[in-house]
Amino acid sequence: MKKSDQSPPGPLEYLRRWPLQAWLVMVGVFLYAPLITLMAFSFNDSKRNIVWQGFTLKYYEKALTNESLIEAFGNSLTIAAVSTLFSVILGALVALALWRFRFPGKTVVDGAMALPIVVPEICMGVAMLVFFARVMPWPQEMPWPLNLGAIIIAHISFSFPFVAVVVRARMASFNREMEEAARDLGAGEWRMIKDVIVPHMAPSLIAGALLAFTLSLDDFVITFFTSGPDTVTFPVKVYSMVRFSVTPEVNAASTILIAMTVVLTAVALRMQGDPAAAAGGHAPAAPKA
Amino acid sequence: MEQSWKQAKAVFAGALGPPLFWLILFFIVPLAIVWAYSFGQNDGLTEISFTGTFSNYVRAIEPLYLKIFVKSAWVAGLTTALCLVLGFPVALAITFAPPRLKTWLLLLVMLPFWTNLLIRTYALIAVLRTEGYINLSLEWLWNGAGGLAPLVGLQPLGAFTPLELLHNNFAVVVGLVYVHLPFMVLPLYSALDRLDRSLLEASLDLGAGHIRTLLVVVVPLALPGIASGILITFIPALGAYLTPDLLGGPDSQMIANIIERQFKRANDWPFGAAMSFLLMYLTFIAIAIQAVVSRNRGRAA
Amino acid sequence: MDKMKRGGTSRRSLLTTFGAAAVGLSFGPALTGCSPAAEKTAGAEEAKLNFYNWDTYIGETSLADFKAASGIDVNMSLFATNDELFAKLKAGNPGFDVIVPSNEFVTRMSQAGLLVALDHAKIPNIKNIDPSFLDPEFDPGRKYSMPYTWLTLGIGYRKSKVQGVPDSWKYLFDSPQYAGKIALLSESADLVRLCAKYLGHSVNNIPPEMLPKIEAMLTKQKAYVKAFHEDNGQDMLLAKDVDLVLEYNGDIAQAMKDDPDIDFVIPKEGSLINSDTLCIPTGAPRPENAHKFINFLLDAKAGAEISKTILYPTPNAAAKALMPDDYRNNPVIFPPADIMAKCEYGAFEGAEKAQAYEELITKVRAA
Repeated sequence: MKKSDQSPPGPLEYLRRWPLQAWLVMVGVFLYAPLITLMAFSFNDSKRNIVWQGFTLKYYEKALTNESLIEAFGNSLTIAAVSTLFSVILGALVALALWRFRFPGKTVVDGAMALPIVVPEICMGVAMLVFFARVMPWPQEMPWPLNLGAIIIAHISFSFPFVAVVVRARMASFNREMEEAARDLGAGEWRMIKDVIVPHMAPSLIAGALLAFTLSLDDFVITFFTSGPDTVTFPVKVYSMVRFSVTPEVNAASTILIAMTVVLTAVALRMQGDPAAAAGGHAPAAPKA
Repeated sequence: MEQSWKQAKAVFAGALGPPLFWLILFFIVPLAIVWAYSFGQNDGLTEISFTGTFSNYVRAIEPLYLKIFVKSAWVAGLTTALCLVLGFPVALAITFAPPRLKTWLLLLVMLPFWTNLLIRTYALIAVLRTEGYINLSLEWLWNGAGGLAPLVGLQPLGAFTPLELLHNNFAVVVGLVYVHLPFMVLPLYSALDRLDRSLLEASLDLGAGHIRTLLVVVVPLALPGIASGILITFIPALGAYLTPDLLGGPDSQMIANIIERQFKRANDWPFGAAMSFLLMYLTFIAIAIQAVVSRNRGRAA
Repeated sequence: MDKMKRGGTSRRSLLTTFGAAAVGLSFGPALTGCSPAAEKTAGAEEAKLNFYNWDTYIGETSLADFKAASGIDVNMSLFATNDELFAKLKAGNPGFDVIVPSNEFVTRMSQAGLLVALDHAKIPNIKNIDPSFLDPEFDPGRKYSMPYTWLTLGIGYRKSKVQGVPDSWKYLFDSPQYAGKIALLSESADLVRLCAKYLGHSVNNIPPEMLPKIEAMLTKQKAYVKAFHEDNGQDMLLAKDVDLVLEYNGDIAQAMKDDPDIDFVIPKEGSLINSDTLCIPTGAPRPENAHKFINFLLDAKAGAEISKTILYPTPNAAAKALMPDDYRNNPVIFPPADIMAKCEYGAFEGAEKAQAYEELITKVRAA
């Protein structure tokens, strides 16, 4: 066992043991190596971007002044943000209902909730296309961001069942005695949900939100079919750029996106004054009670 | 354990109402239209007429397509298994990490997946191809060893033949694992995080090794999380089409590639719809089996 | 309980701040990019145009030049394949004024009633077009489309790895000589048609008896093919993954600029020509502007600007005259006349044929 400078690792402190650390490093390399090369090649002075031909910043300049690329970025981030918000709400609600209640038709609802996960994307894309063209036409030429409405609706529809799955798995470990205790102490229904159930759900809400954000940001097929003339998103833009092969401009744009996301998250964490960061320095080895 | 809905009608309506409404209007209805298409036929180039025919389904279960279904299921299964093996220790490490590190580790796992899928796949191609980084590094090592061999008295090595890492099923599996890993890690983390630590500590105190504790205590308790992780990894992997398209070889096509071509090039939406729904029915059967299995196992634990 | 609750609310607020910050951040850049208010003059169309095009398939300054000349703002959206274009428009036009389909799809879409007949009186620059492009089989009399670019399929190859000049389709379809170093385009119709060409038949009206022969030939050849690519064959060639690819001349011309070891040849049996064209879809909100835009793109100077950027062969004789020599006399971009005589347009022959070709290739790939 590796001797740390504070104390030998406790029985459950897996992160401080070298086999697990080695494993994490290996997975980290696997995940990040292609990404690092991606970012490194955004400085490549070659239009084709196959072989390294020299260092340049000109593709960053191109990407930052490429209006349609920036617009696509903006659209993608907006769609992802709104979609994540609604997906988490809807997903948590339905997970709560399915976990807690017995009701006629429950198996049917259960099955229906699994559908969006199971449907092939192209099938759903076509379904949404037909829906917004024939059944419920989304008005054209609406001001931003309402013109993104059709895309956002489609994204929410395929994201919130994923969130529900994650939240339900978490709720399975909820100790009902706490609920009864709260009830005994006089808490009303909504109070109990707010103060007892939601905090228990919280890690799964985070996990679900991250999942929903990823699904939305990356989606191409469904977005393509629901987008219109004014609503280019980043994946759609990239997919069509690729017909002429991936130039370093695309790499530069992706690097900027990654950097923005990292900065954004750091800002968010700092803004809410992460209590774990504040508490850092006190026995970091103590596992959560 | 569950309440009857009648006991808290307001909460029930508030919790189930909005999601159900959304699901029906923006999912079931559009899907129902496509389901109707699967019983229809092309009428000219743009219209589809509902003729109530089963011919599309009959065509979809021809041996040609069945073979591809089975192969896709096998590849997706392998991907899921690998994601589980790779992802479980990661989820474990994050769960037991100090609180300060937890969010960061989670974000580190998610970050690659906020890059566009196509770009990530091209990055993987750059790593795997004939003159990609793996082969270049191996070649460098080989040549270095070749230079040293005569010093040790061995025969000099021949020319380096690059490994065929791309445009085959190996690359497809690597690509799929690469894309789907966080879908496994997040639910696992979510379930492991709420484990009662005292149970684990008790098991370790009683003399069981870590592996034994893992298998006998952790896995049964975290089974819902594992099951949901498997679910949301296997099914998208089954329906993946970009990865096999870009990374695969001449015989790596998966079912989603075929379905996609029906909706596009072949302009045969009814047939594409029939195959999509067939895929869904099969997946439902798989889910049902898995639900029964995990319920039995959960009962025995 | 206390610690748990504190942990819970802080995580929840993380979520909301995350979401709010994301929205806030995206408001900024996106607002500058949103469509500017269109001016409306009484009775006339708005000074705006929605252009649905392939990516990087326009000159660097073309859209700005058009705005300067006419005051119309062009909003360009992108698609990646003809199939996507068709699928998008099949259910109804979401507001595009000008689109860029390829030849086969012009026939398909006009038959489906998705295209508007062009008013030639509003497109005087048609006089700039080389006469050989004015009456193609896929759109007699240019009723629905104006030519934008054209391209042919051929073999891109790496000179140092290939013996002589591979001037026959045999090397791609029927020979183990370059096993493991071949990449084929995954387009089913193109593959089937070129195989027919290799077997000595025209690309059109392929008799059903020929299809099993083609299937057997490709199935046997599959063992020697490294990959079926989706129009990025030139990248594979540049990266030395393969030494021969089935690709378009424009793509290989661009690759040749980066690597002089690469060359292109159209096999002696002949090949397919494609042509990308400008059309107005049914239901376009601004057909007047659409005609003006098409006319502008056919102007000699504008055409030269476009060709300078995209390097594809142009059907615009006046624009070609303004281009530098290394473009006009490049045998890859403009193959010699005797070869071109053996190249044909692939005609759209109905949905059943397309499905049959699709299924043939599926069988080959599953075998």
